[in-house]
Formats: sequence, C-alpha cells, structure tokens
Amino acid sequence: MTDYDPQVLQSILGLLDDLKGDWEYSGEITPDTYFIADLGLESLEIVVLSTMIQQEYGRLPFPQYFDEIGQRPVQERDVTVAELATFVCEHRQATAPGGVTWARR
Amino acid sequence: MGPTLIIGLDGATFSVLDPYMEAGVMPFLADLQRRGARAVLRSIMPPLTPPAWTSLVTGKHPGQHGVFDFFQKEERDSIYFTFAGSQHVGAETIWTLASDQDRRIISLNYPLMFPAPPVEGAVVPGGMMPWRQLRLGCHPPGLFDRLKALPGFNPREMLDMELEIKAIDGCPPEEWAEWVNLHIRREQRWFEVLRFLMQEEPADLVGILFDGVDKLQHLCWRFIDPDLRPRQPTRWEREMIDRCEQYFRSLDGLLAQIVDLAGPEATVVLASDHGFGPSSDVFHVNTWLESIGYLKWAEGQRDGGDRPDTDVGFAEMTRHVHAVDWSQTLAYAATPSSQGINIVERVPGSDEPLPEDTRATIALTLADALLEVRRPCDCRPLIEEVWTREQAFAGPFEALGPDLSMVLAEGGTISILPSESIVARRAEPRGHHRWEGILLAAGPGIRPGARIAEVSIVDVAPLLLHQLDLPVPGDMAGRVPLDMLEPEELERRPPRVVAVGGARRVSPLQPVDTDFEPEEQAALMQRLRALGYVE
Repeated sequence: MTDYDPQVLQSILGLLDDLKGDWEYSGEITPDTYFIADLGLESLEIVVLSTMIQQEYGRLPFPQYFDEIGQRPVQERDVTVAELATFVCEHRQATAPGGVTWARR
Repeated sequence: MGPTLIIGLDGATFSVLDPYMEAGVMPFLADLQRRGARAVLRSIMPPLTPPAWTSLVTGKHPGQHGVFDFFQKEERDSIYFTFAGSQHVGAETIWTLASDQDRRIISLNYPLMFPAPPVEGAVVPGGMMPWRQLRLGCHPPGLFDRLKALPGFNPREMLDMELEIKAIDGCPPEEWAEWVNLHIRREQRWFEVLRFLMQEEPADLVGILFDGVDKLQHLCWRFIDPDLRPRQPTRWEREMIDRCEQYFRSLDGLLAQIVDLAGPEATVVLASDHGFGPSSDVFHVNTWLESIGYLKWAEGQRDGGDRPDTDVGFAEMTRHVHAVDWSQTLAYAATPSSQGINIVERVPGSDEPLPEDTRATIALTLADALLEVRRPCDCRPLIEEVWTREQAFAGPFEALGPDLSMVLAEGGTISILPSESIVARRAEPRGHHRWEGILLAAGPGIRPGARIAEVSIVDVAPLLLHQLDLPVPGDMAGRVPLDMLEPEELERRPPRVVAVGGARRVSPLQPVDTDFEPEEQAALMQRLRALGYVE
C-alpha cells in the first residue's frame, strides 16, 4: 500500500502538521500514523479532511471509500496517512479544479 | 450609514420568545420589537437548519440552491450521501454578494460556510464544523491564530458535535443541567469572537448565529413551552425550568451588547431558520415501507436491538447503504432530518434505470398510502401533507432532493431505524421544527411597530441587500418585504433589482436519459411486476 505520489503524501502530512498543534498532539505524524487509533479523529473530522483534500485534487469517491472502511471488521476500521494518499492518487483527476492549493491557516 | 446585522437564532419561535419577553426575561428583545417591525418568518421544505439557513442567505428555495439536508447526494443515481458543505451551495449568498460589491463582512457560526468562501472580511464557520479543525475553516488565513490568542477562546465549547447528538437522541437526566450551562457558555464564546472582530475590523454586513435555542428546544421543550411546563414541578424540573430561562436571559444580554457595539445607525435583523413546537409521534418510515413491500432490510438489519422505539437514528444517518437489501428495495428514507423518501434510480437487482413514469407512479402510490397512515393514539392521520419532488424542489437542483417530502401532524418526527412498531409515541414531548420562525428588524428606514402577518424566509436576503444599499439579483425567489419599510424611505430609495447573480457553479447534474423504447418499457415493467412492486 505505498503506491502514492510523494507530493500527495507531503501535502497530507503538511495539512496534519498544521492542525496537530490545535489538538495538543505532540507525537510525530508519519505515513504510518492511523487517523483514528493514533490521532483520535472522529468520522466527521475525517470527512472535513476529505473536503480539504478535494479542494486540492478535485472530487474523489470519498463516500464509497468511507463506506468500504465502515464495512471492515471493527479493529480494521482505520486508515493510515499513506493509505489515504494512495486512495487520493488512485482517484484524483488529471487536473485539480481551479488549481486550488491549501493555504496555511 | 451603519452596519447591517443579521443575528440568527436557530429555531426561534414567537410562542417561546413572547412569554419570555412578557415575563421580563428578555427585556432587550421586547424593546427591539417595539422599535422595529415584526413578522412570522415562513420557512421552506424541509424546515431544517442546512437548507433553511441557505435559503435565508441566498434568497432561494432548496431546488434553486442545492442544499436539502445535513447529508446529500452529489449524483442523482447514487445511493451514497455526502456531508453537505459550502461546495454544495449552488447560488450566491449575501456574504459573497456583499463582498463582491466592496462591502466587508463578518460571518460567525453559520452552517454551510466550510470551506469558507473567499470573501472580504472574516468567516468562522459553524454547523457541523469539528472544533479540532476550525483552523481549516477560518478565513482569512491567520484568523484562527489571532482568535486563539484571545483570552477565553475555546473552540471545543463553540463547536462540540456531541451537543448536537444529545439534543436529538437525548441524554441522561443528570447531564441536562450542565448541558444547558454549556450552551450559555457557548453563546458567550461566540459573542466574544464577534466583539473582537467588530472592534478590530468593523464590517458592513455582520452575521452571527446562536444555535443553542434550537438545541435547548429539542431536548428541553417541556421546560420552555409555558403550556407544557409541569404545574407542580419536582425539584429537578424546577431547576431545569430556571436553567432554560437563564439561557434565554443570557442570550438577551448578548443581543443587547451586539446591538450596542453596532451603534445607533445600525440595521438590526433577527431571524430564525424555522420555528418550533411540541412533538410526540415518531414515524418509522423504513419499517412502514417494508410493511407495504417497498423496502427489504439486509440480512441481520431487521432487528432494532435494545434501542428505544422513539430513537430516530440521528447519529446513524445514511445507514441505508448497508441496512437495505438493494435487490429488493424500491424506496427508502436516508436521514430522519430530510422528512423525505427516495425512490431508487435503478431497477432493483439490475443496472437498468427505473423509467421516469414508473418512478412517478411509485411516488404517487406512496403519497396516497402515506396519507392513510394513522396514529395509534387517536386513529387520526399521522401525515398531513405529502409533497412530490417537483412540488417541493422545482429548480436546477431538483433531481438531488427526495422524491417525496412529508409534513407530519403535530410536529411528528421521522425515524430511519427498524422497529417493531410503525408509529411510536414519546412518553414526554420533545421539541421539533415547525414552519413558523421569527423575523424582527429595526433601524434606518424600518417601520417602527410594524406587525406583518408573514414574510418568507427567502425575503430576508433581499431585505439585507436593500439595507446595505445593494441591488437584489433578479434570480432570487425572494423580494424586499416592503411592508417592513417606511413609505418615505421607499420613495427616497426604492429597492433595485438587477438581472445578475445566478448560479455560482454549473449544476453537477447531468440530464438523465429516461426515454425508453416501448419494448424496453414493457420488459422493465414485467420485471417490476415479478418483483411484486407494481400491479
């Protein structure tokens, strides 16, 4: 599960790095960090992240992706940063709409 | 010219505010309505936070702006629903219209504002914005860090999702008092952000939404509605009555401070997205659809478990994707909030599109059947009205709305969960949405003491634009409510309408080819008959 564009991975890591200070999360966020088990995110928070990712890469089939994750055995209902990057790379459009990039907030 | 304020009170209704004003709990509001104009504000179908506030800020109905619910389809023929955000708002808003015409804005806690639009001014989104990601929602970049430096800034208290779920699905009685206290603090936190922004970077259009009114009324209706308050309350009930009263007293104090900050030349508009009233009946719509053969639960999904049969499934919205056997289902309810029923787009068990006229037949059959459902408590009709999609949502986004929308008698609510009973009744009434919200306006050109029977929620955006001395886009459904304005002011500065505005984006919908050859039509109908769906 490492078939991702390193730039996509860096984008997601950068986004999470911006946020982790607000979460009082002091650990390092790596490609192997789990969103739920490690960062403690809830489903709605992952949805918000998906919205930001779609601003960068265009519309992605996140509802189906979340649904697939939700059908896994309970202990497997989580994804790593690298797995999310892989999903984005598999489904991103050739050109992002408007070329929007994440601004540091 | 002073600023124009749009202060939202989510779910506010005169049946609650009037008694509090008369009892002296809300003296500022009582004074404001003496100084200004007042009207019942008619909400839209469905009278629900995301579509109704979107109608208020766009001046358009849901079929014209594209927001129908907390969750929605992005494609007509998908069973998947996604969380509604600003990207789903397919129309200009007061925020973008004002900003595009050189007016600065402040918008705090309004739903469907994430991701924030690139406006001139400050945006802190509300609705279902998770507190841990508020940084992502704040506009412009850097705003979050400035707010974080404020003493008392507490995004967790401002945006805690658990509050929303407890309001609908309930919580243990011992938690209620602190739950109300938290809402008092929450409104104070939002006010402090507003005060900071109004002082540091004054704006022409200033909006803040207080959503505790809706939450308290959902859970604590029997302690708020004077007609339902216990005549001989227990100690705990007395405490809850007092705490709810304290919430409204505190809110009134915040309103006074906001209007004071805005100065004497400000236009003040107070509005709600919908009204409120008591609610006891819960309609298990998917169980009803199952009982008449239009829905089949997936294996293992039929059992409702140990949940009370009055749970509506607010925390399990869109569970239908796996709860339903799609090879044998023609119609389903995806969320309790939409008040709607969706008809599938494909012939069950196949990839073939369901012909439009078959869908229309199913819709009309279900509409007739819904009107026959009776309440067990008195055998009276449970459902007062059923609207087809065309009736409820005419417009460019019509195809994304539910096929049928229901109006339940006496504010009944809908559950998407399986149940042994089709209609359940709560032991104690809760609060639930109604059509009749509130509109109060005061300021330059507003008729003092005017009492107007009813104004549509889509008229608020035109009113705000007029007060900002901006033209009203001709494609808005709403119009400036002239009865609220001084005749002399109207003569001096009549409302201007311009043929601009329009959709912010191209509709994501593609036309669906529904023309079938007669042989194809006959074959599809034969399959449906075989499945038992049509006579």
